Amino acid sequence: MNDRIVFEDVSKFYGEILGVNRVNLSIPAGITSLVGPNGSGKTTLMNLMTGLVKPTRGRVQVLGYKTDDPENLFRILGYSTQFDAFPKGLTGFQFLYSYLRLSGRDSQEAERMAWRAIERVNLVDAAKRNVAAYSKGMRQRIRLALALAHDPKVLVLDEPLNGLDPLARSEMIALFRATAEQGCYVIISSHILHEVDVISDQVILLSNGYVVAEGQISTVRGEIQEHPTQILIRCTRPRELATKMLEDEHTLEVTIHKDEKGLLLKTRDADGFYLALNQLALNGNGIEIESIAPADDDVLSVYEYLIGNEEVVR
Amino acid sequence: MTTGTSRLATKVWWAQIKAVIRLEMRKTFFAKRGLWIYIVALLPVLLFMAYALATSGQQRQRASVARRGEKPLAYQDLLAVKPGMTTEEVIAILGKPPVNFHWAENRPLRPGVTENVLREDYHYSDGQDDLFVGLVNGKVESVNLQNGSNPGLDSIMFAGVFQFFFLRLAIFFGCLGIFMNLFRGEILDRSLHFYFLAPIRREVLMAGKFLAGLLATCTIFVTSEVLQTIAFLWHFPPSAREVYLYHNHGLEHAAVYVGVTVLACVGYGAFFLVAGMLFRNPIIPTAVILIWEAINPFLPAVLKQFSVIYYLKSLCPVDIPSAPGTPPFLALLISNSDPVSAPVAVLGIVIVALIALYASSVQVRRMEINYTTE
Repeated sequence: MNDRIVFEDVSKFYGEILGVNRVNLSIPAGITSLVGPNGSGKTTLMNLMTGLVKPTRGRVQVLGYKTDDPENLFRILGYSTQFDAFPKGLTGFQFLYSYLRLSGRDSQEAERMAWRAIERVNLVDAAKRNVAAYSKGMRQRIRLALALAHDPKVLVLDEPLNGLDPLARSEMIALFRATAEQGCYVIISSHILHEVDVISDQVILLSNGYVVAEGQISTVRGEIQEHPTQILIRCTRPRELATKMLEDEHTLEVTIHKDEKGLLLKTRDADGFYLALNQLALNGNGIEIESIAPADDDVLSVYEYLIGNEEVVR
Repeated sequence: MTTGTSRLATKVWWAQIKAVIRLEMRKTFFAKRGLWIYIVALLPVLLFMAYALATSGQQRQRASVARRGEKPLAYQDLLAVKPGMTTEEVIAILGKPPVNFHWAENRPLRPGVTENVLREDYHYSDGQDDLFVGLVNGKVESVNLQNGSNPGLDSIMFAGVFQFFFLRLAIFFGCLGIFMNLFRGEILDRSLHFYFLAPIRREVLMAGKFLAGLLATCTIFVTSEVLQTIAFLWHFPPSAREVYLYHNHGLEHAAVYVGVTVLACVGYGAFFLVAGMLFRNPIIPTAVILIWEAINPFLPAVLKQFSVIYYLKSLCPVDIPSAPGTPPFLALLISNSDPVSAPVAVLGIVIVALIALYASSVQVRRMEINYTTE
């Protein structure tokens, strides 16, 4: 599987403390978010992916490269860690330049690539200042620049939006999107669920070192049988629609919206429900349906259903 | 791997090693926590400078005594004076004393009986050495010839300082401070991941760090060694320096000391590099290596070979003689009872260092970034 990031029955224990246990994953291109509360195993999974820690059991491969082969792995992978320490006495530019020289690049190429990465994260003005004097947001950006500097195919970003102001956050999200659209693999860890919801193509939900669910958010949501799917319909004459929908076997519960311009329905079979709704609309009984949208088809809901509401930020 | 690919890989590795060295040199030379290494390296230089200052004072005094003498004296003239000679005989050989004291004193002959005698002290010098002649009632009673400093004699003192302070303490602890921190320091600073996230083989990184440490320690301690030699020779007259350097193997000795210094940095550096990876607390490996090196003379021949000092002592150009009456335990520490030839010694250190570096390369591949447990 040279086009995937693969975890095969991977466990990591720190002495007697569990990092992650029995993880099996196959991560495709696009933006994949690792979601879970603090201590759920997000960083451990990223450190395993980058070879910074070794699995106690199992095997990890990144696009066919072994994680104990840094010489080849880090030619295709960039990792923005959460570690907030830098080699002493370096400016932002020197930090990137030294890294690129460590990669074996010559002086001119390293300089050109360092400046390009600095421009990508909007840090040109501060590039000649010592990293030790950077604000938290600037340090976050220079770490992102380090991960991006050598144009990696795989970007692993541990809480990349921490410490960034709203403008910088949206810039970074756009950058991740653009990178993913080029066919890259962007792995992001976050405990801020609404951000994950906006940017992710797929999610991996973690809790206490275990992968609880993985895949596209809608697929994951569909697999959660114990919580009915909620669908919000904006329409005219919502009470009439509610009556008709309750006659359908797929509808479990209907609540009229406070503004009397819509209703919230619960169903265990979303596909069957949509079919019945289409039928109703085609019959032309004077009800105008403006919009239909899943109300709990997002990471936040999925996370709440699967894990509960521990330490995650909405 | 084809020859072309292999050549390219070697080129990249070398470029990476140079990049590591550049980063490490900045940290090693300008780190505040490494300031004590400069002080330790400078201590023997200060010692020799102080000795040179003290000796030059004595030298000036001798020259002044020699100048004030009735005639220029040679060392042989000073040796000619023997106890029992008369004042006239002494003056016939050495001339009138440039410095003399005389006084009368009562000397006990037997209990209750004393004799009044005339005592005289004559002080002669040939410019290098002092002769003190004690006379009683016109006859030489005591002769005290004090040799002034000369490079040949002082080279034994130099060898003592080199072997017992510079090698065993200054270079030992200097290497501890520099090599132990190459990995351990960055784990404590939580910045080691910077290297581990680069596309560089861990072994290449280790080699780069070792060479950076070696370059730093060699620069510091070879500079110290050269300054020590200059301070050691500085106060001698140019003629004495020339004789020592060009006719008494002085230059050769200086070169050997520099070589031994470099080899000590290689050997101890490799030891402390691996120790820094294996141990969280530097005190334990330091104590173990220090004790191991100290007990080396008492170890069986097979075990002796696994130490750095065993080979370094064999390479030192000047033997330190044990003073008569030195306890056998101390004499064993001072002398090198079982020296090996220079090529074997050099090879021995290189092999010991390579074994330590191999252990380091195994360890560096196993290393994980897990700062929270440090």
